[in-house]
Amino acid sequence: MNRQVDLTSCDTEPIHIIGHTQPFGALVAADVHSMIITHLSANVQQYTGHPASELLGSDIGDLFGREQIELLMQRDLKPRPPQILQPWFAELRNGNGDLIRYECLPHQNGDTLIIELLQPDEGPADAWRREGLRQRIISELILPKTVEDLADMAAGFVREVTGFDRVMVYRFAEDKHGQVIAESTSRPDSFMDMHYPSSDIPEPARRHFMLNLIRSISDINAEPVPVLARGGDVAGPNSDNPLDLTYSKLRGVAPVHVEYLSNMGVGASMSISLVSNDRLWGLIACHHYGTLHLQSSCLRFCEMLGGTVSALLQNLENTNLLERRIDAEQVAFNMENGARDEMDLHATINSHAGRLLELTGCAGLMLRVGGVTSTCGETPAQPVAWQVLSPLVEDGIAAHDRLGALTPLTRDQLRLASGAALVELSEDGEDCLVLFREEYEHTIRWAGKPEKMETVGENGVSRLSPRGSFAVWRQERSGCSRPFTSIDREILRIVRRVLFALNSLNRERAAVEAQKQAEAEQARLHLVLMDAARHSAMGELAGALAHELNQPLAAVTNYVNACRQELRNYGADISGSVGGLMERAVQESSRAADLVRRLRNFISSGELIREQVDLPGITRQAVDLALVAANEKGFIVVDMDFADDARTAFADPVQLGIVVLNVVRNSIDALRESQQRRITITAHLRDDNMVEVAIRDTGYGIEPTVADTMFEVFHSSTTDGMGIGLSLSRSIVEAHGGRIWSQPVESGAEIRFSIPLEKH
Amino acid sequence: MVKGIGKSIRVYVVDDDESVRHSICLLLKAHGCTAVPCDSAQHFLDTWEQDVPSCVLLDIRMPDMSGLDLQDLMNRRKMRCPVIMLTGHGDVPAAVRSMKAGAIDFIEKPANEDHLLAAIEQAGLFLSDQPAPVLPPDEVARRLALLTVREREVLDHLVMGKINKQIAQELGISQRTVEVHRSRIREKLEARGLADMVRLMSGPLGST
Repeated sequence: MNRQVDLTSCDTEPIHIIGHTQPFGALVAADVHSMIITHLSANVQQYTGHPASELLGSDIGDLFGREQIELLMQRDLKPRPPQILQPWFAELRNGNGDLIRYECLPHQNGDTLIIELLQPDEGPADAWRREGLRQRIISELILPKTVEDLADMAAGFVREVTGFDRVMVYRFAEDKHGQVIAESTSRPDSFMDMHYPSSDIPEPARRHFMLNLIRSISDINAEPVPVLARGGDVAGPNSDNPLDLTYSKLRGVAPVHVEYLSNMGVGASMSISLVSNDRLWGLIACHHYGTLHLQSSCLRFCEMLGGTVSALLQNLENTNLLERRIDAEQVAFNMENGARDEMDLHATINSHAGRLLELTGCAGLMLRVGGVTSTCGETPAQPVAWQVLSPLVEDGIAAHDRLGALTPLTRDQLRLASGAALVELSEDGEDCLVLFREEYEHTIRWAGKPEKMETVGENGVSRLSPRGSFAVWRQERSGCSRPFTSIDREILRIVRRVLFALNSLNRERAAVEAQKQAEAEQARLHLVLMDAARHSAMGELAGALAHELNQPLAAVTNYVNACRQELRNYGADISGSVGGLMERAVQESSRAADLVRRLRNFISSGELIREQVDLPGITRQAVDLALVAANEKGFIVVDMDFADDARTAFADPVQLGIVVLNVVRNSIDALRESQQRRITITAHLRDDNMVEVAIRDTGYGIEPTVADTMFEVFHSSTTDGMGIGLSLSRSIVEAHGGRIWSQPVESGAEIRFSIPLEKH
Repeated sequence: MVKGIGKSIRVYVVDDDESVRHSICLLLKAHGCTAVPCDSAQHFLDTWEQDVPSCVLLDIRMPDMSGLDLQDLMNRRKMRCPVIMLTGHGDVPAAVRSMKAGAIDFIEKPANEDHLLAAIEQAGLFLSDQPAPVLPPDEVARRLALLTVREREVLDHLVMGKINKQIAQELGISQRTVEVHRSRIREKLEARGLADMVRLMSGPLGST
């Protein structure tokens, strides 16, 4: 056997086209267009007096009378669960011409009209008759305030009305396993609180419970009646022409179910679906240990009772949900309000932790926002690896009641954090709230071990058999918390909504703050660089001034000295007043030169503070500054390409920035009238361990007459400014031990300078 | 009037400033020297005659090729022509660099007449292969011994090419104090200027 025994294998059983019916009624099906009978149950003659072979292929109007069928077809026959049964009382003539009255259950499934004929009741069901019972049911069912009380009352009423030996109310958990939450029985044993594995009710059966809300099996051992198609074949799963019995009340019982009931000793059963908020909430399951045939009117009464209980259940559930939601919204509102004065989410959570934990049924929480982690309530001393929940996140939330299945937990961690919910508070998942649930140790009483056995039939086809043992099997459950239900998730969503919004707001504020700071820092650097540039320019100016003023002063001194010497050469006596005057002239020239020198020393700062600098960073900053200052940011393309070994230099970062700033400023001036506006900055390491930086532009280039003097002070090639820039750049570069020059290029201009790579 | 050997050599005056160039030439001529004006480094290279003994007064800062660049070039070409550096502003690192590259002297503008003539005299001695009047080592030692520990520190920094501000920062003293030290050092070493100090210290007793 290479196929695994899988409890869910019967999920594929085609029970809706089972091909037979229970014998407590007859079934006739016709095509709604032709009104030709296509299928019928083999016992049809017993009910109508006409043999199956005669009816198949004949007009259904011939059997029921055309007028009656026309009236019937005017009804809306399409089943719309949870619609209750709509009986149709029809009269038809048997083969002898006698008029027989039947209670029929008609419905239309696709293009097929199906009419089920039931034995007419001898009288209305007991419950319909007893005014007192009806009143009690209505007035008492609305009293319970909890689901359990309502279930208990419903079980009692159903047993009272139907006479089943045992009536149980199952509730399905989110994992679909069922639990008996109410029981009314005449038997000494009790199934109360028992858990049934989800595989006890296969998926197709669950679907049927939603579509067909009440189902009764009068006698599990009754001989099934085949459903015949035209030509006399059984319209079962292997037929070319099966009949869909999804909405049929007579639908035959699957052998596996017969076996299941038989194993429990049950002879007749009924189940009423409890549907709340469009999902199968549970079942009212009725067992009888002999056979029990319910009158059609009793079935209808039970169906109505089931519908009422469903509606009340939904009401209770929704009320509970609503109350918890209101609580959650209240907490959310308070947090939001509090956060107006308190920007820090940690403080917000801290002051609302108690309510938050109560609301979510958790013992402790951990908040991580902006890289800071805080905890409230009881949390494990050793942090839990809650990150394992991240892959499970859906819509920002993930919860698991058995964290230990995802990551190893210590005893202490298990105690306080068997379960956890992760609530993401930012899109990137960096910020989050983690809520921890304590361990919930409990015992589950399973109604038998949750397993089914696979048996191989005579024809070699393997088939699942339901389990035979219903001996109570106790399972001690530990290492998990109470499960996170859909309501819990709903609460978490509400909490997340407000916290996410607050966090986004805070992040936005922080981002704006950071942006402001960055801008302030940028502005400060801007000022520093500008200031340094101005200061350096002044120093350069002072130096140039000293140089320029010194020249004539030097000349004057020389001339006077030459003059005195010439006089001496000619033998003139200049020892007297003339000599003294000349000496004074020389002295005054010296004093003027000294003054100039002192002025220069006063203004110039001259010294370099050298370090290993980030060359691309400094360059980028200086370029940005030049572009911003010229209002050209975004209008000039600047390409930067620094070779990997030319990304650093040993230089004064501010002074180096001034060099780049000045060169790029000239480039920007040169680009003012250009079509193509591009500055390309490259750098490479030379063999002599100097980094050579080239700044090239696509401007009007350098005029040959200017090229010789462009690095001299007062030789401005640009219209504004005094021509300090390039001269200053040269002073700075040379002070670093490098050189600056203009590299002849075909078009545009290229200035290159070299600076040492590292300290030597 | 140049007394000695300085008169017998040709003095090239390389300076881009016309009036400075002219006035120096005039002064040198008044003292009986042969002065040849050059307005650029290139002009000097074109004019210079290998067979005529000569020295050059070189302005440190000029367009195209600076005084230092020209000095490097002359060293590479092994041109036998002693260099006397002239500068418009006391550029200490440049001065030290030129002295280390073999300059005879370093003179700040406006040039002191005696200083200038002495430098030319020295260039003449250099060319005639007569050693410059070098101070005997015990004399250097005697003068250095006059310095205080602090003054010696300042001197060491000076000959490394540092400017007053840097020295002040590194020694944790004010610039004014550095200046005071500097003038004391000059007095004690009987030096005319930085160039003398550098030369004095490049002997066997100097630390650098």
